[in-house]
Amino acid sequence: MNAVETLNPTNLAQALKAKANKNVVAVAGGTDLLVRLHDRITQPWPKLLILENVKELHKITVTKTAITIGPSMTFSEIENSAILRKKALQLVTAAASAGSVQIRNRATIGGNIANGSPAGDTIPPLYVLEAILELSSAKGKRTVPIEKFFTGPGKTVLKPTELITAIKIPNRSNHGFFMRLATRKALAISKVSVAVNIIMNKSKVESAKIALGAVAPTVIRATLTEEYLRGKEINQAIIDEAARIVQDEARPIDDIRSLAIYRKEMVGVLLKRGLESVTTNG
Amino acid sequence: MSSDLTPKIKFRLNGIDMEKEVPAGWTLLRYLREELGLTGTKCGCEIGECGACTVLMNGKPVNSCLVMAPQIENASIWTIEGVTPPGGTALHPVQKAFIECDAVHCGFCTPGMVMTTIGLLLQNKKPDNSQIKQALAGNLCRCTGYIQIFEAVRLAAAMISENDMRPFRENISEN
Ligand SMILES: Cc1cc2nc3c(=O)[nH]c(=O)nc-3n(C[C@H](O)[C@H](O)[C@H](O)COP(=O)(O)OP(=O)(O)OC[C@H]3O[C@@H](n4cnc5c(N)ncnc54)[C@H](O)[C@@H]3O)c2cc1C
Ligand code: FES
Ligand code: FES
Repeated sequence: MNAVETLNPTNLAQALKAKANKNVVAVAGGTDLLVRLHDRITQPWPKLLILENVKELHKITVTKTAITIGPSMTFSEIENSAILRKKALQLVTAAASAGSVQIRNRATIGGNIANGSPAGDTIPPLYVLEAILELSSAKGKRTVPIEKFFTGPGKTVLKPTELITAIKIPNRSNHGFFMRLATRKALAISKVSVAVNIIMNKSKVESAKIALGAVAPTVIRATLTEEYLRGKEINQAIIDEAARIVQDEARPIDDIRSLAIYRKEMVGVLLKRGLESVTTNG
Repeated sequence: MSSDLTPKIKFRLNGIDMEKEVPAGWTLLRYLREELGLTGTKCGCEIGECGACTVLMNGKPVNSCLVMAPQIENASIWTIEGVTPPGGTALHPVQKAFIECDAVHCGFCTPGMVMTTIGLLLQNKKPDNSQIKQALAGNLCRCTGYIQIFEAVRLAAAMISENDMRPFRENISEN
């Protein structure tokens, strides 16, 4: 690695001021950046903005209506957060299933989002939890719903002078699940993942939100399947049909991790398994 | 806010306070091995896949190949060199358990395995088999087939006392 200059701000104002320089690269856990540097996918960065000591970005705050997750929260911290275990089990499951202990102790949710991979495991849960991102620069801040954040693989609407400064989800109970399929349980990037958030009205589905990971250029919502499930009483026939519809909503490609045809099939299988578990657990 | 090619930073290493100029573009792994001469931490893949480079950072196992040296500012780092109790020739119970169970063959993975085991036992004094497997999923071994390693972790869990673990607890946050 070449000569690098590091900036080590201790508060958010300093960090945003430093980021006003477009050549400054933010590093949170470094688990994506350092791999890219090692594999020579990235040029050595001239200036590195270390977020480690910016406390404002590293906390969870809870109000009656919203849970605000700081982007520097690690996967391990998300996995162990009592409030998220209660209100965002999809996100907790995703964080707990990623990488290895060592990776989860460093990988942050903000880095996972900013990295923009369609296989980023925290992203499908954030879609179905209707997360809103706060993007800040030295000049001010704006909010973007997570579904509007990604424009392609590794491409987002984040400006070079901006940081993700908060991830906000509604503070409400929900049913649902996150499931993923990878070559092995640990240390493998998802071939397919499915996150679901389902609201029941007595025995009928009031609304279902379904997001699919790693089967399109970005994480996508399966809106046709959602529409199909609305108002239905869930039984095996309905689940089987939903699993069939969702396969056609996936638009996967063949790549080093899997084949498109297998991914399509597996999206259906994961949705089926998940819906079966939701209905048997009430 | 400091800005530098070799920022001067404070950190604790193996229980000792340090203030050092670190090369900003180096990984912690490289800094430990090439600058401080602490070659017990091994360099395997350098992309977070093998766990040979595992150290404790604020009580948690991390891949030192994926940490930038300046990121350890204000952190507490433990490497395998710090695990043996100071002064004496005695080994730490986790190290003894690895020897006892024949969990060391070529030994390349061992320092990382030991650090991850200490990280696990800091959080969970009596891990069950599936928790042990999950905790060690990020540490690859090309020799043992893992059986002896899992046994070593079980034996270590049975042998350790809080005294053996206390030094590693500094700077651990609640999560
Ligand atoms: C061995 C290994 C296994 C992995 N397994 C998984 C897995 O199972 N699932 C998965 O989803 N991922 C996995 N990853 C990928 C990676 O760990 C995650 O994407 C992680 O969440 C990245 O977070 P980070 O903090 O380490 O990011 P960094 O590497 O620090 O940053 C990633 C990108 O985000 C930017 N960034 C970071 N924070 C901010 C911010 N606040 N505002 C704006 N931009 C920001 C950085 O500039 C950079 O472009 C794995 C990686 C490795 C090395
Ligand atoms: S050398 Fe760091 S994980 Fe392999
Ligand atoms: S003992 Fe040789 S790699 Fe584990």
